[in-house]
Amino acid sequence: MKLTRAAARAWEGDGLLGRSLRLLGSAEDALLVIILAVMIGLASWQIVARNVFDTAIIWADPLLRTLVLWVGFLGAVAAARDDRQINVDVVSRFVDEPWGSRIRVVTDFFTALVSGFLAWQALRFVKDAREYGEIAFASVPLWLTASVLPVAFTVLCVRYLLLTGFHLRRSFGGEGEE
Amino acid sequence: MILTGLLLLALALLGAPLFAVIAAGAVFAFGRADIDQIAVAMEIYRIADTPVLLAIPLFTFAGFILGESRAPSRLVRLSDALLGWMPGGLAVIALVTCALFTAFTGASGVTIVAMGALLYPALRDAGYRENFSLGLVTTSGSLGLLFAPSLPLILYGIVAEVSVDRLFIAGILPGSLMVLALGLWSFREGRFLTRTTAARPAFSAREAAAAVRAAIWEIPLPIIVLGGVYSGFFAVSEAAAVTVIYVLIVEVLIYREIPIKALPGVMRESMVLVGGILVILGASLASTNAMIDAQIPMKLFDFVTAHVSSKLTFLILLNIFLLVLGTMLDVFSALIIVVPLLLPLAAGYGIEPIHLGMIFLANMQIGYCTPPVGMNLFIASYRFDKPIVTLYRATLPWLLILFACVLVITYWPWLSMVLVQ
Repeated sequence: MKLTRAAARAWEGDGLLGRSLRLLGSAEDALLVIILAVMIGLASWQIVARNVFDTAIIWADPLLRTLVLWVGFLGAVAAARDDRQINVDVVSRFVDEPWGSRIRVVTDFFTALVSGFLAWQALRFVKDAREYGEIAFASVPLWLTASVLPVAFTVLCVRYLLLTGFHLRRSFGGEGEE
Repeated sequence: MILTGLLLLALALLGAPLFAVIAAGAVFAFGRADIDQIAVAMEIYRIADTPVLLAIPLFTFAGFILGESRAPSRLVRLSDALLGWMPGGLAVIALVTCALFTAFTGASGVTIVAMGALLYPALRDAGYRENFSLGLVTTSGSLGLLFAPSLPLILYGIVAEVSVDRLFIAGILPGSLMVLALGLWSFREGRFLTRTTAARPAFSAREAAAAVRAAIWEIPLPIIVLGGVYSGFFAVSEAAAVTVIYVLIVEVLIYREIPIKALPGVMRESMVLVGGILVILGASLASTNAMIDAQIPMKLFDFVTAHVSSKLTFLILLNIFLLVLGTMLDVFSALIIVVPLLLPLAAGYGIEPIHLGMIFLANMQIGYCTPPVGMNLFIASYRFDKPIVTLYRATLPWLLILFACVLVITYWPWLSMVLVQ
């Protein structure tokens, strides 16, 4: 069972966490739009510069590659917010409530665990990069370009924990019936 | 090891997000091989080291804009004016426009929603049978997968480390074969139709000119993109940037069909799809590496070569495997997960990576429409308000024709390779 965007309020809740998450969601959306706009602008400028002025900004290509990573992971976080991660929906189409929610408790909690673990490993990666002063390109440090990974996986972990809680409540009847 | 694999498979079938399943697999594999788990994060970061990847967010966004605009209705009008006079003309138009539209928007269901909504009522009005019309718009939702600049084609190039430019060229003939075969089927239906219902409109030079004028800004788009890439003037990611800028100027500034205020929403929606794909790609960069460390492709290779002696048998098994895979996974996940395993196998049987790409995508295209979970079936069922069982029946003849095309593409490598050699 997929949750619609409107239903996101229900699982994020109206508490402080839910409200901060929604605020965070708006910030993610804004950042997604800005990064994509910068990517379009920079990629187009590169073409003009290369063909008309016969020059190119050296750091533009590695920057563009980094922005792909950023836009991808912010997009993945947004996909989790809409509950639209790519999955195999063989079983879910043929299962009725409350079993749909009970299955979701298992899969959501598993996803939260994996995301949490990845957040931790990504944080170690970023810390190491900072310690050794590794450079991504030009004079931009690697820890900065890679920092989107621990942040994104942490948010994914929190969102899937909340989804777990939501489906736990639903699977025992009670609240959440639409 | 086997137990972990089965557990992960069960979680995937129950609907756990694929990125989590794949990442968990990588984590376990690295753990078994005593490799520091930090490697998982390092592998995911490799997304930032893959140049062609830039094309994916850009083409996706351009496709979303085209889907939101009235470009589909202009495209239908144009092809109607040019092809409407011939028997089965409208059905052929539907096929050609859907293929073109899918190539530009990626086979994400946009085609059925945007084009099907125009074409299905038009086909019914012209007297085509309901099942014929439904089957056509449903199967056409993924037709065009083999034509540049479709996202699955680009993604295959990235995963298989094959030049995307060459894939663009290789896809022309196999893709045309599918359109041609379905076109003949429509032609046959159209001839039958003329005996029962009213005549088709005659060709009108005036309407043709008017239709060309209406779509004058969109007609150059395929020429700019394909001409630019085929002639080597643009790299693939540059072509993507040009497409975005061009589409923005045309749909937002010239036709003014998408208000500037609506753009951030379209941008966000398109990036949700991109994010869903890239996070799986990141996870599978890690899992592929873990599999290579554990020599799984090697073991798989030894196992298969020990049991399958001829190339022909291998290809038959490959077709069956891909058809089953296509019923379970969408084309993007299937590509990212399975292609790294198939490549060494196929190479062992002397199958070119480019040919493998054509086989893979042609099979996946059928998977979009096969029960139980073909995405096109559900989108069409929802969009045209028909029971899913009706759609199973309606799509069957179309699928059989596509399947025949898949066999030709699989067993006749010349078709995929002649233009690239």
